[in-house]
Amino acid sequence: MAKHVHTPNGTEMTGATSLVKSLEAAGVDVMFGLPGGAILPAYDPIYDSTIRHILVRHEQGAGHAATGYAQVTGRAGVCIATSGPGATNLVTPLMDAAMDSVPLVAITGQVPSAAIGTDAFQEADIRGITMPFTKHNYLVTDPAEIPGVIAEAFHIATTGRPGPVLVDIAKDALQKMTTYNWPTSIKLAGYNPKTTPDAQAITDAAALIAQSSKPVFYVGGGVIKANASSELRQLVELLGAPVVTTLMARGAFPDSHPLHMGMPGMHGTVAAVTALQKADLLITLGARFDDRVTGKLSTFAPNAKILHADIDPAEIGKNRHADVAVVGDVRETIAALIPALKSALAKNKPDLTAWLRQMNSLKSTYPLGFDTPDDGSLSPQLVIQRLGQISGTDTIFTAGVGQHQMWASQFISYEHPRTWLNSGGAGTMGYGVPAAMGAKVGAPDTTVWAIDGDGCFQMTNQELVTCALNNIPIKVAIINNESLGMVRQWQTLFYDSRYSNTSLDSKRVPNFPMLAEAMGCVGLSCDRPEDLDKTINKAMSINDQPVVVDFRVHRDAMVWPMVAAGTSNDEIMIARATAPDWDSQEL
Amino acid sequence: MTTQRRQHTLEVLVENEPGVLARVSGLFSRRAFNIETLNVGPTEDSSISKMIIGVAVEGHSLEQVIAQLDKLISVISIKDVTPKAKEVNDTQPDYQN
Repeated sequence: MAKHVHTPNGTEMTGATSLVKSLEAAGVDVMFGLPGGAILPAYDPIYDSTIRHILVRHEQGAGHAATGYAQVTGRAGVCIATSGPGATNLVTPLMDAAMDSVPLVAITGQVPSAAIGTDAFQEADIRGITMPFTKHNYLVTDPAEIPGVIAEAFHIATTGRPGPVLVDIAKDALQKMTTYNWPTSIKLAGYNPKTTPDAQAITDAAALIAQSSKPVFYVGGGVIKANASSELRQLVELLGAPVVTTLMARGAFPDSHPLHMGMPGMHGTVAAVTALQKADLLITLGARFDDRVTGKLSTFAPNAKILHADIDPAEIGKNRHADVAVVGDVRETIAALIPALKSALAKNKPDLTAWLRQMNSLKSTYPLGFDTPDDGSLSPQLVIQRLGQISGTDTIFTAGVGQHQMWASQFISYEHPRTWLNSGGAGTMGYGVPAAMGAKVGAPDTTVWAIDGDGCFQMTNQELVTCALNNIPIKVAIINNESLGMVRQWQTLFYDSRYSNTSLDSKRVPNFPMLAEAMGCVGLSCDRPEDLDKTINKAMSINDQPVVVDFRVHRDAMVWPMVAAGTSNDEIMIARATAPDWDSQEL
Repeated sequence: MTTQRRQHTLEVLVENEPGVLARVSGLFSRRAFNIETLNVGPTEDSSISKMIIGVAVEGHSLEQVIAQLDKLISVISIKDVTPKAKEVNDTQPDYQN
């Protein structure tokens, strides 16, 4: 964390300086933003601040970069923008951060307080707009409130279930003189997140686990947020039950671990999906029974009891009734469960041998795989698999949204938490490049690859200019199939192959390598499988500039397995019109 | 999923600050909770307002309404002050998209 010069309370300064001093006091070392009229007073003291400000090319880039930074470091990401369109350009990243529980603080300028409500130039009610998807938000019109509000914003964003907080500050509040007063403590009558689980709930949870003969660990992104991976591994190995990690939890438990069945959900492995469906107990840790995991809710895990551990009490029973609920920080919960389970197992240790044999049989019978195109063209899955193998397990991967995202979650082996960043709940196309930028700022010594689609890349690639000019050498793999591939896949399967508006028409327009070069990056391309490793190695060898590789891949590749939207997980398909051979399985 | 439609009355103490009514009513709207009646007034403490909310619960539990309401930072406390629960059978479709 940055070391800033401490500013004593009682110092007279403008609201703008008070804002910047408050951000320094909150420990901010970097923020992503773009100035404009209403926020301009704040940019004057930013000029002198020890906080690194990275000037983005679009405010959406600032928001996703702050998210990428937060996901990698575990600290709050900070973005800053002006009023009106500057603020509304942050709306998508804020919604994205809310859905994926990312600690984010967004600062926006607002028109002067006397002009609020008059449809003034660049006026937007950003507090009203962002109420549904911020954990909390503020409109500040009195400069004396700035330090207290900033302190609260960071407290709220980073504690309990993390989330985004927006602070909108009227221009005159930034301009007026005030007395700086950083609070020594924060008291919020309506906010007191419970982090330590009830002892009785832990005892009940351990008893439930010890009675179960087909348990499965259903691990969600909360385990990564809570830095609970090592505790999780101890708990899993103590019980010896299979594990599934959701899209947001990839890396929370090593993919290479023999008890790992893979990712559940719409594009999950047969073993992971079936483990949930056939279990008699879901040990749910920091997960929220999202529809992309459960499929048709009424047929999800029909015989399973539910142990649900989450820091957010509102998740308990929201989509699925919990037989035992444990509210608290999931790391504290798991740490308390380990000794409780040890004593419960000492009295009664269920035999999980048959259950594990069934799951391992599914895992070996239905591994993830893909067909090599007949025409000698590049397979997108192979590109992504080789990217993972060549760049190694310390690499941080981000993705956009679509087929490439699913393949990146499937064909890269994640061994460590905070190495896989994607837009899970929101499904934000264009997340990949700016999130990679923020990730690289947060982990400058780590290789960061954005795996992007050609559709996604065209939404936010302007941030490569920011990367090139600010020494943020990320690497971008465009999985270029000339299509909005996932939507095209749905059209193939559910709309009689009528490709309405999913073709992006040409592999040559835009010319991605030339576009990359124009933005100050190295542009590479790869069309043939025989050039694949050579091209990846070339990209890996360039570390002083961003690199963009245009991988021109086969257009008709599809993501499998698949549980079609609205159907039961029991109807998982391993290829078009092909279900697993259940009769040959002992289930 | 067959659920029951039940009437509840919640007494909610909130921070007396601009926008708090929008926070509460917006939450009910976006979570598809039903407000039957809503009354807002002052308390002895000028920094705190009291809302009396008549809620018709269907397709989800009262616990879920209270838990979501409690997530609002501006909400200080929630009390179920229902005089007597009225029950009506109702059917809610299974949510999917």
